[in-house]
Amino acid sequence: MRLPRLIRSTPFRLTLLFLALFAAAASAFLGYIYIATAGEVNRRADADITREMESLEAAYRVGGVNALNQTIVERATGERPFLYLLLDKDGKRISGSIEESPIDGFTGPGPTWETFKLTETDIDGAEVKRAARGVQERLSGGEALFVGADVQESEGYVMKIVRALRGAGALVIILGLAGGVLISRNVSRSMQGLVDVVNAVRAGDLHARARVRGTRDEYDELAEGLNDMLDRIERLMGGLRHAGDAIAHDLRSPLTRLRARMEVALIDAENGKGDPVAALETALVDADGVLKTFNAVLAIARLQAAGEAPNQAVFDASELASDMAELYEASCEDKGLDFKAEIVPALGVRGNREFIAQALANILDNAIKYTPEGGAVMLRARRTSSGELEFSVTDTGPGVPEADRARVVQRFVRLENSRSEPGAGLGLSLVQAVAASHGGRLELAEGPGEYGGFGPGLRVALVLPRVE
Amino acid sequence: MRILIIEDDLEAAQAMRHGLTEAGYDCVHAPDGEAGLTEAGKGKFDVMIVDRMMPKKNGVEVVETLRREGDQTPVLFLSALGEINDRVTGLRAGADDYLVKPYAFAELIARVDALSRRRETGAVATTLKVGELEMNLINRTVHRQGKEIDLQPREFQLLEFMMRHAGQSVTRTMLLEKVWEYHFDPQTNVIDVHISRLRSKIDKGFDRAMLQTVRGAGYRLDP
Repeated sequence: MRLPRLIRSTPFRLTLLFLALFAAAASAFLGYIYIATAGEVNRRADADITREMESLEAAYRVGGVNALNQTIVERATGERPFLYLLLDKDGKRISGSIEESPIDGFTGPGPTWETFKLTETDIDGAEVKRAARGVQERLSGGEALFVGADVQESEGYVMKIVRALRGAGALVIILGLAGGVLISRNVSRSMQGLVDVVNAVRAGDLHARARVRGTRDEYDELAEGLNDMLDRIERLMGGLRHAGDAIAHDLRSPLTRLRARMEVALIDAENGKGDPVAALETALVDADGVLKTFNAVLAIARLQAAGEAPNQAVFDASELASDMAELYEASCEDKGLDFKAEIVPALGVRGNREFIAQALANILDNAIKYTPEGGAVMLRARRTSSGELEFSVTDTGPGVPEADRARVVQRFVRLENSRSEPGAGLGLSLVQAVAASHGGRLELAEGPGEYGGFGPGLRVALVLPRVE
Repeated sequence: MRILIIEDDLEAAQAMRHGLTEAGYDCVHAPDGEAGLTEAGKGKFDVMIVDRMMPKKNGVEVVETLRREGDQTPVLFLSALGEINDRVTGLRAGADDYLVKPYAFAELIARVDALSRRRETGAVATTLKVGELEMNLINRTVHRQGKEIDLQPREFQLLEFMMRHAGQSVTRTMLLEKVWEYHFDPQTNVIDVHISRLRSKIDKGFDRAMLQTVRGAGYRLDP
């Protein structure tokens, strides 16, 4: 199970390829060593034989066959390790240390080289074959002279080199293979962690995470990327599930109400009672309310899922604030609220203008809705000392107790005293989602405090990051 | 007035057709993008209603093809609820207006009315006249029965839009989109308050109210 997997692994295959290239390079290298050592040994033996042949030829030139014969007899009985054979014109042996020339059918006139086996009897009387090499040359008088040498020893040396080279080659391959296995197992082990995570996620466990070993290598990078990706997927799934729950939770009751109302209207209409047109109109209003809630929930979920608001551009936030002031000032006046706007001109901001407008509208809607007649609402747009852009709406309504401020931002949360007002409790959640999708934040604080039956009020600020 | 409805949801198309026929329009329906383009090539239409999601050719492709072929028929783009990017995509493709499904029928009729009317008033006018009401676009003055009415800049824009669409219902959303140029969804009656201010200026002290409230739809300026 383990081995086939290893062989299938990419690093192992790469190792094999590397090994093949490495073996080719090693053969070339070892071949060179062979030529440089074993070849040199043979060349040196040949040079010795040639030198001996030349010295004999010199003797022949000076004293003829007789002198040569004399020299050969002297040298063959001496300590010199050469083999000699002198043949007459007809190929008959004149003298020498061997009986027969290993070189047959010799025609001359140049030297002819031959490698052959020398048969000798060792001290135990057994025949041993020893490697030998020699050269035969025709002399000017027609005689043939052979000079050879026992090269068994140097041959043995060459064989040693060859064996060493073979061993080295085998070692290279074994070490290379071992290295390959080691590397691929290491790589496989690193990959295995990631593969396990992927398999676990595929099997449905979205909580599985790859281990980051802290080695800061590419595996860690991959593991971190994988984990980030899974975090994001999990968040999105969570968001979707939450949106689903929220939609189910908040739409069930108005849909049930709508259905009941239509059923009653139908029964009434069948009995000729009631006003079917009025019933339908009420049903339409109900349906619109459901759609509005649905739309807001969906917008929040999409913004949260997208992470970043779409279609962002740099625009004039002061202009937006002025437009909103102009739009809502009439509503304030209509309700008998004192409205003021303090807008610093030419404030640049980057974002989705429509979403930011929607967020400001929600904040202003809330302020107007919860501030009793005679109160005041104030819209401000300014740049904070840290360069952020801040829209704030301050009202003199009842405010939100500090303990509840984090809660009112959540979806569908409505405080007890606001239940009588229309709305689904999504306004601030959407503002929060808009803020988050722009890298900004929503801040809730106490308003101007209590005075003359008003207050303490609420200050809601939408803070957006500075434009770089 | 002829309308081409390119919509794959047959029930929705049927309802649309019914409502628009009631409102006096002559409707042709195409069940997908390709059929829509074929129909558009066959006859002259005053407005086309194009759904965003359709088989064969989607709404964006249909509008792009029409505009590429030089067809300038006003297009009302329909899109499913909650697609926050769709409006931009639709308008960029060459649509003239945009409506999110599910829509109120009054909203659809009002927008189709506005689009079909847009073609008729091609020439650049310097004055607008609706019944007793006269608006000078150069001096930015408004008179009713010869009496000058003092309007704030936004009220002037609001009245200008109402006068350009005199006799038609215009919805609150249309006013927010066309006069204020915002596409958000106000939770309260912000537009109503502005309309009632405008109404008090142009109708107060006169024997007849010109600015009417249309139940379930919005407002209408009658001559």
